[in-house]
Amino acid sequence: MTRMLVRRLLAGLLTIACIYAITFTMVVSIPGNPFQQGQHRLSSDVESALLARYHMDNNWLYFWEFLRGAVRLDFGPTFTYADWTCNQIIAASLPISMSIGLAAMLIALMVGVPIGVTSAVRRHSWLDISATTLILTGISLPTFVTGSALLIAVGVKLQLAPVGGWGTLSHLPLPAITLSLPFMAYIVRLTRAGMIDALSADFVRTAIAKGASRQRVIWRHALPVALLPVLSFLGPATAQAVTGSFVVEKVFGIPGMGQHFVNAALNRDPGLLLGAVLVFSTLLVAFNIVVDLLYAALDPRISEAL
Amino acid sequence: MVRTLSPLITLLIIGGICWVSLGGQESPADLTYANPQGIHTLDPARMSWTSDFRVALNLWEGLTTWNPEDLTPTPGVANLPPAVSQDGLTYTFTLRPDARWSNGDPVTSADFVRGWRRGMEPGTGMDYTFFLTDHIVGAASYASWRREAVSRLVPMSRLAREWEIDTNQRRLLEDTFGTEERDWPRTHQDALQRHASLIDERFNRVGIAAPNAHTLVVRLVAPCPYLLDLLAMPIFLPIHESIERLRSRTNDLPITEQGLVTYDPQWTKPDYHAHGYGGLVTNGAYRLAGWHFKRRLRLTANPYFHSAASVQCQTVDMVVHENVSASIMAYERGAIDFLPSMSVPYDHEIAKLAQTGARPDFVLTNVLATYFLNFNCVSETVGGVPNPFLDRRVRKAFALAIDKAQIVQRVLGRGDRTAGSFVPPGVIPGYEPPPGLGHDANAARALLAEAGYPNGEGLPMIDLLYTPNDSRIVQALAHMWGVTLGATFNLRGKESRTLADDKINRRFMIARGNWYADYNDPTTFLNCLLTGNGNNDSGYANDAYDTILAAANAPRDTAKRAALLRRAETIIVEDDLPILPILFYREPIALSPRVHGLFPNARMWFPFRYVTVTP
Amino acid sequence: MNRLRFTRSRQKAPVIVGGLLLFGLLAVSLGTLEHAIQWHNVQTLTGAIRHEPSLEPVVPLTAFVSGDVGHASTVTKLAHRATSWFGHDDLGRSLFYRVWPGLLVSLAIGLAAAFIAAVVGTTWGATAAIFGGRVDRAMMRVVDVLYGLPYILMVILLKIALTEPLAKLFGGRTVGADLAILLVAIGGVSWLTMARVVRGQVLALKQQPYVEAARATGASTYYLLRHHLLPNLVGPVLTYATLVIPQAILQESFLSFLGIGVQAPTPSLGRLAADGIEAVNTFVGFWWLIVFPCLVLVIALVSLNFIGDALRDAFDPKSNQAALLS
Repeated sequence: MTRMLVRRLLAGLLTIACIYAITFTMVVSIPGNPFQQGQHRLSSDVESALLARYHMDNNWLYFWEFLRGAVRLDFGPTFTYADWTCNQIIAASLPISMSIGLAAMLIALMVGVPIGVTSAVRRHSWLDISATTLILTGISLPTFVTGSALLIAVGVKLQLAPVGGWGTLSHLPLPAITLSLPFMAYIVRLTRAGMIDALSADFVRTAIAKGASRQRVIWRHALPVALLPVLSFLGPATAQAVTGSFVVEKVFGIPGMGQHFVNAALNRDPGLLLGAVLVFSTLLVAFNIVVDLLYAALDPRISEAL
Repeated sequence: MVRTLSPLITLLIIGGICWVSLGGQESPADLTYANPQGIHTLDPARMSWTSDFRVALNLWEGLTTWNPEDLTPTPGVANLPPAVSQDGLTYTFTLRPDARWSNGDPVTSADFVRGWRRGMEPGTGMDYTFFLTDHIVGAASYASWRREAVSRLVPMSRLAREWEIDTNQRRLLEDTFGTEERDWPRTHQDALQRHASLIDERFNRVGIAAPNAHTLVVRLVAPCPYLLDLLAMPIFLPIHESIERLRSRTNDLPITEQGLVTYDPQWTKPDYHAHGYGGLVTNGAYRLAGWHFKRRLRLTANPYFHSAASVQCQTVDMVVHENVSASIMAYERGAIDFLPSMSVPYDHEIAKLAQTGARPDFVLTNVLATYFLNFNCVSETVGGVPNPFLDRRVRKAFALAIDKAQIVQRVLGRGDRTAGSFVPPGVIPGYEPPPGLGHDANAARALLAEAGYPNGEGLPMIDLLYTPNDSRIVQALAHMWGVTLGATFNLRGKESRTLADDKINRRFMIARGNWYADYNDPTTFLNCLLTGNGNNDSGYANDAYDTILAAANAPRDTAKRAALLRRAETIIVEDDLPILPILFYREPIALSPRVHGLFPNARMWFPFRYVTVTP
Repeated sequence: MNRLRFTRSRQKAPVIVGGLLLFGLLAVSLGTLEHAIQWHNVQTLTGAIRHEPSLEPVVPLTAFVSGDVGHASTVTKLAHRATSWFGHDDLGRSLFYRVWPGLLVSLAIGLAAAFIAAVVGTTWGATAAIFGGRVDRAMMRVVDVLYGLPYILMVILLKIALTEPLAKLFGGRTVGADLAILLVAIGGVSWLTMARVVRGQVLALKQQPYVEAARATGASTYYLLRHHLLPNLVGPVLTYATLVIPQAILQESFLSFLGIGVQAPTPSLGRLAADGIEAVNTFVGFWWLIVFPCLVLVIALVSLNFIGDALRDAFDPKSNQAALLS
């Protein structure tokens, strides 16, 4: 068990290092100037002084200097928002994205799992078909459409929620629901498939033969096994959800993490971009390890194999 | 056990994170306005966005400021008019004695010297450094002396740490030190020390002097008729001395190991207290009370401001709404009082509501800004294809072929004014730009044929670069050129940074451009097209044009100067067409009827100190 | 093991409905293609920005038919009437003649991305599985790393980084170059799942008794590949390729929302939806700009998902599921 954990941690570190190297290479190779801000073209003198100040005139040096800061959890300055450090920006935006992301995952699970189970139990019934169709419609619309539709309907027409921004609990539900839809669709699919498998498994048949009630078989015996695939989906999905979604943040005007993945790239802000990527990949690796541990705890076959 | 507890724990975690992210709810401000972007910086030496200027100029007050109704320079910290020498080169400003910083300290001329010096230092000044170096005696040579020193100290500092340096830097050092091995930490330290000891003496040669606490003397390179207007810009703001606590030091020297003068960038925060710093101190009508990244920025009235008694609006909130549509919806619900920007794809509907009077709270404002297209005037080929726009007849034909009225009225429908000239007419006192070219399809076709492309035959497919915001206008233009001239287009939408890069490297035939006036004088536009100017994306070079503009600097007779400038602009907009002016922006703003004393003006300058809000 | 098994009629229903809907959409798109090519970028109604949908055409027949109006065929007249069915956009272009070619462009992007995913993913996954050992571990580590990159960021960076080199490759001046960049950016990240699926499939196949038997009798790797592995891979690859199509179409819509999707004036459903959503406001309802593109988008994607899901159900669900998830 411990050996497995150490191995996973080392592999995770290697993954993060590779991600850093790839992102860095791409960031320094795209055209565009991080210091070009307003309408004025920066004079080359001023620009070279700035590049030298941040060691950005020498990519190799910059690579190591940034890495050196990053391992001490210091992502250095940003150029788009010069008065803030990358750390401050991430510290300000990550909790917001986490609130929305976790709420979204909660919604996705609480709605998605029951629908998936019902669909599986009454396979090919009209209930199953209509639920799948509804879910598919939900994910066939781009998030910017579903989000805007919610914003207009609930925020403007019904006036039940504020139209965008962040600051009170009432700002949370709309973006969380919007963000949950694609995850929910995936969870429904996985639960349904897992449940169908589980219901045809031997141990379920045994349970039925023993005379356990239908409800008990479904929820107590079959569901835990059926949820294993959902669990392994939750790792990467949660990492993605808690680091924010650009579209949801843009539609609802939320100052979360997701914007940095897009804006920092468009603004050529290497520090913020690399910082955001490192936070994302660290969370991803961490959640995957947690999921593996949970998996081992839930499924005796696997914990033996480890 | 675990099964029952785990949901509870999960909920607790989520609740905890929510609580952290939400923060306390603040009481609503007297006035709330929305900004589509966050504030980029509050450092006056670095800033270059109008939305940043707006906050900075409410926080600080320069020597002069602008009257919000007619934009004429009015007294700020300095009494007007200043004493000007006979030759128009030396200005002596007297500061008002009751000017105070937000901590009660008096504002002195040394604070201005400090602020201006930051503006020209290579580590702190950015886009607007040229305001100082172009006009003040000795500023340009000081700045370049500093930059040269830095370019030598950078490789030395790296060698001192045993880091690699590139060949250019090595060559630079070999010029000074020869090729033999050296004790680099020592050499670097000595050089740093020597340079640090010279800085102040060198700076004293710059034409800014503070003979006493209430007098500031500025010496200019050449007479500058618009100096008082210029001095209201953020780069000329004073900076409180407490910033010196946050200055970076190397071994007791007040510069970094690279020779730069830098400050902890946190100095603009109201609640930053490292090294005994007391938080941001400003001298304007407001002080900064809080700043949440990309969420909210709060200004409260500065009790020490010289006219504090007249300030009605005690708190102002700037909230960030990246989705402009959402901010309009929030305005409609009454959560926001003022929208300085309403650029949305349906802005023509807003313009219609404003023009018909259906919504008197929507106001259309003529802005001192021009939307134009750059023609590439230098590259022989673009992407391997001959560039037809080297021939000015082709440029002129393209200019004559489009119906700008159609674009402005029917395609955009926002009520912008069609542009014949580069400089917007009727805004700058004493200057009337030439009318420019009109719409004449036949003349356009004739010119194009004369240039060797009858009916567009032989014209290559034309690379037209634009940003997503221009999509409509560019497609309409391409359509018009296609119909009138038979030209075909490769429309290339680019995000703005790539576009800027492509323009600087001249990877375009036609590209969108716009220019917002920095000051109230035609030269803010016309200088962009000087040979070798950094903002001359067209690569236009015309000696005659340069000569006339240079000549226009000399006369003190305003009418004569205006005539010269008009002659220069005529070359641009009627003969050579390095740029094709399309329209002068007219931007809608939304101003709640309960807000009084905010005046929509051409520079989107909104001082909140004159505002009253009826509940 | 990869025989399609549809046991009950209701199980077939989604596939049939999906197939029919998709076929219908394609038929309309192709049927209107001739007029759409001509009309998707014609800005006739310069006086009437964003004209509402109506059954009566706003464009005069004389403007629609170049020749003699009297001799216009019934089809031409119908095509003319259709111009205003979906309303007109902000440049006065017929939305009807933008939505249908938009569908084709979107599908083309989806198909091309699926093709890239299939080719690259299959090659990568199969190579890793066949060689096994260190090669397998290294190749799968690469996939892991690429999975760890924020997807959207990679698409954007690839799009920005590749614009110049690819434009040079294509001679710099074609619409094709822009489309190619988009495809590389989208396809370049969608092959990862495919590689995992294929690898899992090949590993499973390698342990099948008949494959082991063939190997024991001395069959060459090529023979194994040609006669045992590839035929058995067609099913799952096809299934996942079908599921890549809707994903790629949505990704393109996201890039359009950012303003770096398909270049104007070429329409795509994502571009049209993004343009439509930006015009949504509380003053004037330009509902048709968002409703029609989204309607077509939803029908197309739901159909594709129906077909993909059913295909996946029909092939052995168990063997693919784990690979899809990891």
